[in-house]
Amino acid sequence: MPPFELCVNSDLSQLARISEFVSLSARRAGVAEADVYDIQMATDEACTNSIEHAYDGDTGEVRICCWVENKDFVVRVTDFGKRFDPDKVPVPDTKAPLESRDIGGLGLFFMRELTDGIEFHSDGEKGNQVILRKRISRAE
Amino acid sequence: MTIETKELKRCNVIKLEGRFDSSVAPALAEAFRESMDDGVYRIVVDMSGVQFFSSAAIRALLMAYKECRRWNRGDVRLAAVPEHIAGVFDLAGILSFVEIYPDTTFAVGSF
Repeated sequence: MPPFELCVNSDLSQLARISEFVSLSARRAGVAEADVYDIQMATDEACTNSIEHAYDGDTGEVRICCWVENKDFVVRVTDFGKRFDPDKVPVPDTKAPLESRDIGGLGLFFMRELTDGIEFHSDGEKGNQVILRKRISRAE
Repeated sequence: MTIETKELKRCNVIKLEGRFDSSVAPALAEAFRESMDDGVYRIVVDMSGVQFFSSAAIRALLMAYKECRRWNRGDVRLAAVPEHIAGVFDLAGILSFVEIYPDTTFAVGSF
C-alpha cells in the first residue's frame, strides 16, 4: 500500500474527516474490522491533542500519514506547533473509584492502550510527530 | 451527530446518535446540564446509535455521572452500548461502576 496523507487545519471540526480517512486507509491495508475502531480512536486522540494544544488557539496544520511497515499499520500525526511532552500528562488510575479519580489523561491512556506501539518525536523542521502502530492481524 | 432528550415520568432519556468527538463533547455536556438544571438527576443514555465516543465524550459522561449521584439524588445509566464502545469503557475502568442495560426499556425500568 502506498502511503496516504491528509493535511487539515487545526480545527476540531476536521476530526470526522480524519477518522474517515484513517478508517479507509486501515481497511485498505487489511486491518481487521475489530482493530479499525482502535486505530480510529487512537488517531482521534492524537489529533485532538495537536489541535487543542499545539497552536495555542491559532490555526496551524495537522498532517496525518498512514502506511504499512512490515506487519504494522502505521499512523503518523504531525503538527508544527508547541512540543508535546507525554511525561507531563498524569496517568489515570482506572482502578480507582470515580469519586477519587482525576478524569484527565484518558486521551493519552487510550493512545497507548489501543495500539501496539507509540513514539513521540520533536524536531524543528519535521515538527512534532506521534507515531501509532497497530499489528495487522488478518482474520484466518 | 444528534442529541435528543425525552422526558419520562421516572427519568430523562438522552438519545445519542453518530460521532461524539472533542468537537461535540461540549454539546453532550450541555444536554446533561439541561436535565440537571430542570432538577432531573435520573438519566438514561441511549447509546444504540453511537458510532464513535472519544475520551472527551467520556469525560462529559463521567462529570454528569458524578454530579447526578451527588447526595444520592440520582444516577446516569447506559442503555444499548455498542460492543466496540463497551470495550473502550471497560479499558478505562468505567464498567465497574456505571450500570449498563441491554436496552432503554430495561434502563428506564431500573429507576
